[in-house]
Formats: sequence, structure tokens, C-alpha cells
Amino acid sequence: MTTYAERPTISAIPPLPPQKGKNFVKWVTSTDHKTIGYLYLMTSFAWFLIAGLLALILRVELARPGMQFVSNEQYNQVFTMHGTIMLLMFATPLFVGFANVIMPLQIGAADVAFPRLNMLSYWLYLFGGIMAFGGFLAPGGAASFGWTAYAPLANSTYSPGIGGDLWVMGLAISGLGTILGGVNFITTIFTMRAPGMTMFRMSIFSWNVLLTSILVLLAFPPLAAALLGLESDRLFGSHIFDPANGGAMLWQHLFWFFGHPEVYILALPFFGIATEILPVFSRKPIFGYKGLIAATIAISALSVAVWAHHMFASGQVLLPFFSFMTFLIGVPTGVKFFNWIGTMWRGHVTFETPMLWVMGFLVTFLFGGLTGIILASPPLDFAVSASYFVVAHFHYVLFGTVVFAMFAGFYFWWPKFTGRMLNERLGKIHFWTLFFGFHLTFLIQHWLGIKGFPRRYADYLPTDGFTFMNTVSTIGSFLLALSMIPFAINIWITRKSPLVETDDPWGYGSSLEWATSCPPPRHNFLSMPRIRSERPAFDLHHPHIKTEGH
Amino acid sequence: MLDLRSHRRRLTLLFTLPALLALTGCSKVSGLGFDEGLSSVNDISLSLWQGAWITAGVVGVFTLILIIWPAIFHRAKASKGEFPKQTQYNVPVEIAYTIIPLIIVAILFYYTAIKETKIVEKTTAPAHEISVNGFQWSWQFGYAEAGEKAVVTGTPAAPPVLYVPLGEKVRYTINSTDVVHGFWIPAFMIQMQNLPGVTNQLEFTANKLGTFPGRCNILCGRNHSQMLFSVKVVTPEQYQNYLETLKASVA
Repeated sequence: MTTYAERPTISAIPPLPPQKGKNFVKWVTSTDHKTIGYLYLMTSFAWFLIAGLLALILRVELARPGMQFVSNEQYNQVFTMHGTIMLLMFATPLFVGFANVIMPLQIGAADVAFPRLNMLSYWLYLFGGIMAFGGFLAPGGAASFGWTAYAPLANSTYSPGIGGDLWVMGLAISGLGTILGGVNFITTIFTMRAPGMTMFRMSIFSWNVLLTSILVLLAFPPLAAALLGLESDRLFGSHIFDPANGGAMLWQHLFWFFGHPEVYILALPFFGIATEILPVFSRKPIFGYKGLIAATIAISALSVAVWAHHMFASGQVLLPFFSFMTFLIGVPTGVKFFNWIGTMWRGHVTFETPMLWVMGFLVTFLFGGLTGIILASPPLDFAVSASYFVVAHFHYVLFGTVVFAMFAGFYFWWPKFTGRMLNERLGKIHFWTLFFGFHLTFLIQHWLGIKGFPRRYADYLPTDGFTFMNTVSTIGSFLLALSMIPFAINIWITRKSPLVETDDPWGYGSSLEWATSCPPPRHNFLSMPRIRSERPAFDLHHPHIKTEGH
Repeated sequence: MLDLRSHRRRLTLLFTLPALLALTGCSKVSGLGFDEGLSSVNDISLSLWQGAWITAGVVGVFTLILIIWPAIFHRAKASKGEFPKQTQYNVPVEIAYTIIPLIIVAILFYYTAIKETKIVEKTTAPAHEISVNGFQWSWQFGYAEAGEKAVVTGTPAAPPVLYVPLGEKVRYTINSTDVVHGFWIPAFMIQMQNLPGVTNQLEFTANKLGTFPGRCNILCGRNHSQMLFSVKVVTPEQYQNYLETLKASVA
């Protein structure tokens, strides 16, 4: 007689009880380029807000003559950290963030080449940044020698205190993260492109990530060397930047050999974002794609040969050479403008929020570029260098590029990041508030500089005639700060809005990230479309449309 | 046909508008923030400042119009269909927009090179020599003609006065005893860094009587914004008198 057992019934596996911190652990241990990219984007945006608040302290202090809120020393600390954070904790890692999320998607890769190195870069950046900023808690306060840290002001004789050391080593550590990020991106682009994705089918943003990463490898190691030399002077009493050995000029050369390519490290990826957005909302391919790549290569090459234009007034550099190189770099930059205009020209242009931000970028960066041509001429530089004219110029260039293109990128790729659209109306309120706030703050600073107001001055005399212009600028800066409120509201109210349920919510996306779901799956693509042009997603969704004019 | 004509009209407008704006601006060019004739540097640089701004203005307005034009006139409309012509390249246009900026910057560089050479030029025997020494946080001016000890030292609370003879060339020897400073006289359109361990020299002539503010413009530590001085341009006779009183006071 056979016996048989009752077939056991297996009940459904009960879901695990919600574990506290599960998401946290998932995020901090991730090797997914998208997650790491979001970490970079969120962290750098937090630094943007912090450094923005520091800027408000500066503007409040300058609104009227006399010292009202901070001491001279505190003022120096605040602008030093404002500049340091904006350039090295906000704008540079913001590039790494966008590149991390978007570039592997655009080239059809599953991840970056070195995913764990990617996470290490992030930790180096985060803790390096916290270290430099932590100087505010040190006795004597944070570094106060300016983000340029000119020798010998930055040595232990003239700037004693642990705040300066934290600044130097914090930047060295976070700089290492940036270098490793650059290595990662170059390797990824060279080795992990999808079948069919030749170099000349790659999107402009990915091209710019490549060229930016090459500039990172050229610029950040000299900075690291200079910083470690400075720390050795501060800590061990070496004489690397001793003025008796020509140290004052040595620092300026090393610093600006980093500092000028750095400007393009900040500009190129954001030019790339603008270049991604313009064709989508003009329903046309990029105009002059190959010429645009050539222009970007020319800018990258020239950007390492113009550093001494920051030192025209030092009396120690070959003026005609650096002036000519600087003028020359205006040519490929001009070419880019015409590529952007040509893309819109006779297109079917629509003004969704991302496109509006790109228009803001074009207008703002245009003016910053023109004042750059003025400053390229040593006789004119002698008149206004190191004044508020220069402050205004580089805010037009950097804010115009980084911040306008950042928000353009946020609004554009938000559905790709989260699966949800941001609100258009709030996006437009955000744009116009920021646009007017920015120009009210910075346009008038050109006149302040021409009238003789030097940068990094905590104070001025009531008889100097700077009061009215400074007050206007301060009012503008508050309008600018207020524009962050509609953005915050926008993120909050759209956090549960319906999912877009489509690969390309804008309808005319060109590059490959629009050929996968929003948000993309863990390894980015469930199937890879045919890549036969620089617009694979567009070819996939609109196969009947052909390009013309070769 | 009608379409083409309106397009041509738009193009004419596009090219004439910036030219018109430039012409109206040209009838009387102001110093654009700087005064004529204050110093020998102003005489050299002011025309370049004006020319560069006119160029920048024309280029800027032209490009701005090109940016705003498609934003207004090339908007998507249901009547135009979904897609425009997918133009990707236009080689003659691409060559033009590479060559024209190149010519513009070449012209700007030509004038720049001529003028910067004049500004940094050094004559063999200047009429006067003054040393300008920056320190944390004020200035020390030395008048070698009145003897080695003829120095005037300021403090942050009492900024010093730099006496300069009208219409006579002065060679300034620019130095620093501690950190980098910046010797800047905004109205004279000139500045130069005071570098520790390096001696810079600069020559120019003040051409108008009066007092002009000067400021340190390279961050030099806590009291950077108190590192002020003023330039007092006096007649050559008054300058000689000043040197005499200096000589007497140190003797």
C-alpha cells in the first residue's frame, strides 16, 4: 500500500518588514552610475545653496558703507569659501553628476568603466568638501586667503590657523576624486560605446564630457602638486612658494595653469547640455555637428595656453602671446553660438521650460563672452582687472553657463531621472525670477568696477560713490535667492504626479537616453535600437524623417 | 514668392539694425566710464576701450537679434506641419562664421599689441622716479630725488598721498615687503602688482591737476579694503616744493 503525503501548500513569501535605512544603505553602497550621479547632483546642489547663502552675507555687508554684520576677517573667510565652494564643490562635481547619469545612457553603456572607483570618487569629493568647509568650526575660522590662495599670503606666516590647512588638504582630496572621475569617463567613452555608436555619432554632451575629462587630467594634477607644495610650506616649513625663490610668481603660474582650464571644465559640459536641448525643441538636428566638435576641441586645446591672462597686471608675463591666445579662443566660442542659432533657425521652435533656460543661458553667456574679449586686451585689463568688472564678467560667464544650463538640464532630464515631469508654470516663474534677479545683481557691477571698486573689498567709503550701485546689486541678489522657492515647491508638488510611461516625453529627443524607459532599468537598456546617425532615438521614433544639407 | 520676399525683408532688417544702432552710438563717443586726458595711459588706452566696446556692441546686438529672431519668427505652428526641413550643414555659412570672428579678433589684437607696447615701454632717463612699496596694509612712497630717506608711509587709518608732477613722466618702481598687493589708480586706467621678491617698473605721466583715488586690488589679508591712497597731481613747481619740504622734514 502506498501512502502519500498531502502536497504542501506554500503560502506567498511574506514581504520583509520595512527596514529602517534600507534605502540609505542601498544608496551609499551603490555602484550604479545613475545612483552615484544623483548623489553628485544632490550634493553639489546642496553646496550651491550653501555658497549662495554665503554670497548673500557678502551682499548684505556691501549694501551700505561701513561694517554692519561681519568683521573684515569674517568677510574674507566668507568670500573665500563662496568662491571655493561654487567652483570646486558645486560646479565641478555638478559636471561629474550630469556626466555620470547621462553619458553612459547616451553612448549605450550599462555603466561606467570603473563603477567602484566612481563611488570612491564621490566619497573623496564629499569628505574633501566637508573638510574645507569645516574650517568654519576651527579656531580662527575658515581659510581667508581667497579661492586663488596667492603666495605668500596663504602661507603659515600670513594665514596661520588650521582652517587654511583644512582648505588646502580638503581641496587636494576632493581634487583626487575629480581626477579619478575624469579617468573613469575617458575610459568609458573609449571602451564602452554600444555597437554602431562611432565617435562621430556620439552626442555633443558626451563629446564634451570626453574633452572636459581630458582637461581635468591636464589641470587637476598641477593643482594637486601646488596644493601639496603649499601644505608642505605651511606644515613642514619648506620654501617652495617662498618669494625669495620667486614663489609669488610660481604659485600664480601653477594656480592659473589649473585655473583657466578649470573655467572650461565648468563651461564645456554645460555647453553640452544646451546643445542637447536646442535640437529637441527646434525639431531639427544640431546645425554643423562636426564643426561644433572641432570648435570644442579647439577651445580645449587653446584653454591650456591662456592661463597668464589672469596675470597681465603682474608685469611678469609675455603680454602679446597670452593676449592673442585669449582672443583666439573667442573664435571657436563664437562658432558655437552660430551652431546654436543655426539649430533654431527655421526650426519649429517651442518654449517648454528647458528651452527657456537655454535662451537665458545664450543671452547671459553672450554678454559674459563679450566682456571677456575686452579683458583679453592687456591695455583694457590694466584699467579694470581685479575690479568688480571682472567679478561681473566671470559671474556672467560661469553663472550664465553653469546655473542656467543646470536648471535647463534638471527640467529636461527630470522625467528621465524620476519618471515624472516638473511643473511648467512653476518652472517659468522660477526662470523669470532668477533671470531678472541675476541681471539686477551683476549687470551694475560692471560699472562699479569701471568706477574703481576693487574685488574682495569688505567695505568702501560713503564718498566713493559706490553706495547706490551696491544697494541695487544687493536687492538683485535677494530676488535671485527667492527664485529657489518656486523650484523647491515644484519638486515637492510633482513628487507624486503621474508617471510619464513613455521613453521620450518631449517627443523629439535625439540621443540614446530617450530610447529607454523613464527612469531607465538597472543596466539602462532592455533592447538597443539601431544606431545609424547621431540621432538614434529620433530615428527610432520618427523613422520617416531624413536629414538634409550635407 | 510672397514668402521669399518677406524673408528677404527680414534679412535686410537683420543686417541694417545693428549698423544703425552702431551709427547712432558713434556720433559722439563718450569715454564709457573713463575720462580723456587724465594720464598718458588714458591717451593710449581710451580709444581702444571705445573701439572694443563699439565692436562688442555691434557683435552683441547682431548676435542677440539672431538669437531672438528664430525664437519669435520660427515658432512651431500647426499650419507649418510637424517637422521643419532637417538642415544639418551649410558649409559656406559655417566658413563665414569662422572667418569673420577671426578677422575681428585679429584687428583687435593688432591695436592691442601696438598699445600695450607703448604702455609698458621704458625710457632711458625718466624725469622723476618714485618707489611704490606695498605692505600690510598701506603704502610707502619714496622720492629718491629728495634723498634716500624721503619716504612717506601711510596707515590703514591715514592713507598716504602720492604727489605727482603735472605733465612730467615718472618711473614707478613697484615692490612689496610682504604679500602680493595691487597698485591701481582707476582713473588713470593703470595698475600693476606689487610682488614680493620681484621689482616691477612702470612709467606714465599725469596730465590733469587734481586728486584721484588709488586702491590696492590684490587680496592682501584682513585690512585689504583699508589699503587706500590718493594721487595728488600738482604743478612741477609745487612738486619741487613738496620734495624740498620732504627733504627738510627728514633731515
